[in-house]
Parts: sequence; structure tokens; C-alpha cells
Amino acid sequence: MEIRAVLETPALRARTVDPDAALVAAAREDPQAFLALYDRYFDRVLGYVRLRIRDEPTCEDITSTVFTTALEQLRRFRGDGAFAGWLFQIARNKVRDVERRPAAALLGDEVTSSEPDLEERLLAHERAAQLRIAIRLLTPEQQHLIGLRYGAGLAFDEIGTIVGATSGTVRVRMHRTLEQLRRRYPHDH
Amino acid sequence: MTTDELERDLKTLAEPRADDVPLRLTVRATLDVQLHRQPEVRRRRRLVVGSAALATATAVAASVTLVGTGGSGGPSPANAAIIAHVARAMSPPANLIVHVKETGVQPDGTPVAVEWWQQTNPPHAVRVSKGFAGQQHEGAADGTTSSLYDAGTNTIYQHPNSKPPKLIDPVETVRADLANGGANVAGTVTIDGQPLYRIVLPNGVVGYFDQTDYRPVYLDNPQADGNVVRTHVLTYEELPLTPENEKLLSLTAQHPDARTETSAAPAK
Repeated sequence: MEIRAVLETPALRARTVDPDAALVAAAREDPQAFLALYDRYFDRVLGYVRLRIRDEPTCEDITSTVFTTALEQLRRFRGDGAFAGWLFQIARNKVRDVERRPAAALLGDEVTSSEPDLEERLLAHERAAQLRIAIRLLTPEQQHLIGLRYGAGLAFDEIGTIVGATSGTVRVRMHRTLEQLRRRYPHDH
Repeated sequence: MTTDELERDLKTLAEPRADDVPLRLTVRATLDVQLHRQPEVRRRRRLVVGSAALATATAVAASVTLVGTGGSGGPSPANAAIIAHVARAMSPPANLIVHVKETGVQPDGTPVAVEWWQQTNPPHAVRVSKGFAGQQHEGAADGTTSSLYDAGTNTIYQHPNSKPPKLIDPVETVRADLANGGANVAGTVTIDGQPLYRIVLPNGVVGYFDQTDYRPVYLDNPQADGNVVRTHVLTYEELPLTPENEKLLSLTAQHPDARTETSAAPAK
């Protein structure tokens, strides 16, 4: 763990209110209410996974598994952090599990020769593949940040709530991460 | 490369797709069943018939199309002819609405069903109903709007979505995916009194096709755990694109008394 991360122990700051606390409490009383959490996070989790994994059916499987796992384990969620943080930690673990499987995560949509804009699509595929490779060279924490920001589309303060840091700190880390990524992904446009 | 360009490429990796609506419905249906079975059943389950069934049908059509046009080694001329018939039967012409209804039973005995109507020409407007028996969920997309129907509150949720849906009938879009595969006609069988061709596909899927009109009737889809999920194609029909039939593509037409909530946010 980075020293900075240790120093930024969440307990040292005023505790932020989890925006999902009411829904989580409702889901504990009536599990059917979990669907409201699902509706809130489906797109974000799917985006998070898509940014990390190329193969679309695998993305769909992971997304499904994230929510079924979250529903199964909701009672274990103690509420001492943000629900989103807990949920995206599940997503992060599932993505990591797939990435550890050889080849599976590297398989992707093939470009079909019957498509009229084949060259353009091939270039886009190549670019996407290079970018995912560059992302995988980042630290796990940086990959998580990139997924939260550009996959899940979360704001800096939302990410801060999830990772236990101020939005300013998230901004700094993101800037650093993008710089590293840019050096490893020197694609001409 | 500028940071803006990098950020644009990152966002592109995760951008939503037109067929996210059926996926959202499928996963929701899975959770619904999980919720209904708590607390007695705690193990994880997944809806197999749904997107998986569509993918299977996709694989079937793609495979038979390719083999019918000559794969390496290839089937005998007679079998190639059967495969070509099957491919044609699963390649609806433009300006129609394809209506497909499938049912299946998961390895744990859970009955599931999926039904869809789709325009065969752009924008390939589609309405999908899927889920477990008695717990169907509906969604639709038409290239401008994605919609979800919540039967519990009789509400249609609409989001702008300019991406046209993919044509579920897959022949043109994925025919190259299995270019190295080879389908084989593995004889004929009779199931429930219906004589069928049995076609084995390279991905382990076995399709059973009507000997009269060559339409798919059963698809056996092997699972990672060794079980086989059988999908029964109850309906596979082509409907003329009339104003009356176009209502089959619309959630608002199917649920005229439903409340509609429109969001300005794109259907990400």
C-alpha cells in the first residue's frame, strides 16, 4: 500500500454519508429493494467491466455475477464504507479472476469481412486492444481508478467515497495515471 | 496524443451498446428469481436461456451458413444442401418482422422463456420479453429510444439512445465468427413425433431442424458444468411489416395504459 494511502485513513476525516445507505437499509428489510440498487448501478458496473475486458460475453457474465454475488452477500456488507465501493470491489475481484485465466479475456469480437467500414473497424479494434494492454500494465489500484472514472463514469468525489480519499487526491492520482497511460499508449490520431 | 484524446479512447472502450437493454433485463430476471428463492436457496444461479439462447441461435445460423457455402473438409453434397436450406430458413429477408419464441429449462429445473420481435431492416427496432416463467421482463429499442417496462408499477422508462439495435438474426453480422468451424448433419431424429435433422456445430451446440421447413426446433447448448440446456424454439415466423404488426415492436403500443417516464440522460 502506498504511504499516501495509509496516511489518508478515512477515519481521520469526517465520515461521508453513503448516498445508497437508504436503499441498502431497505434491501436488508425487503430484499426486493435490491433491484433499485441494481437499476442504479447496472450501467456503471457494465461500463467498468467493459473498460477492462474486451470479450463482450465475458463482460456480460461478469456483470451478471457481480450483482448475483452482491445480492447473496448483502447481509455481509457492514455499511462501514460506501455500498458503491463494496460493489465495485466485487467487480474488481471478478475482473481480476478473469484476467488470471489464460487467453479467455483476450479473446474478443472479431471484425467480420462483410462489413463495409472494415478498415476503420480494424483500426479501432487495434487501438482498443493496445489501450487495454496499456491499462493492464498499470498497478491494480490505477486500473481500478481508470475503470471507475472512464468505465463507470463516476465523478471524482464519487470515486473518492469509494476509495477512501478526497476528490482532490483522486484528481492527482488520476492525472498521474493518465500520464503513465499516455506514455504507454502513444497512438497517433 | 493529448489527454483529451486519451480520455476519449478510454470512454470509447466502455461505451454502451444498443443490445444492453436485453442484457439488463436478463440479469434483472436472474436477480428476481434469486430474490424469490431466498432464503432457502442461497447458491448463485444464472439465466441461461436469454442472451445465451440468442447467442446459441446466432452460432447456429452463422455456422450453418458458412458450412453451406463450403468449409474445409465440408459435408457431403446432400448434407450441404440440408445445411443450406437451414441457413436460408434462418435468413429472413428485409422489410419483415421476425418473431421468435423460445423456452427452456435450466439444469436446476427452472423454466425460462424469451420472445422477441424484430424489424429485419434498419433501424432493426426490437422488443424483447424474457425471464423466468411468470416473471417476464420487457425492453425495446428503436434506434432513437431504449425503453424498459416495469410491470410492478406499470411504468415504461425511456432513455434516448441513438444507436440502432443489432439485428438478432445473425447471419450477416457474424458469419465470419466461426469461419474455421464445420457443421455436420448427424442424421435424423424424431422428438415428440416431429421428424428433425440433427446438426452438430463446432462449438458443441446441437441443433434440431424441422425436415419440412428447415426451421430450428431445439437447440442443445452444453454448459461448463457438463449439463446441457435445451432450448425449444416454439415460434419462428416472419410477419409483414404492416402498421398493425409494427405495434409488436413498441412497448407503449403493447402497454397503452402504462405510465411513461422519460429521462434526458442517455441510456448508458
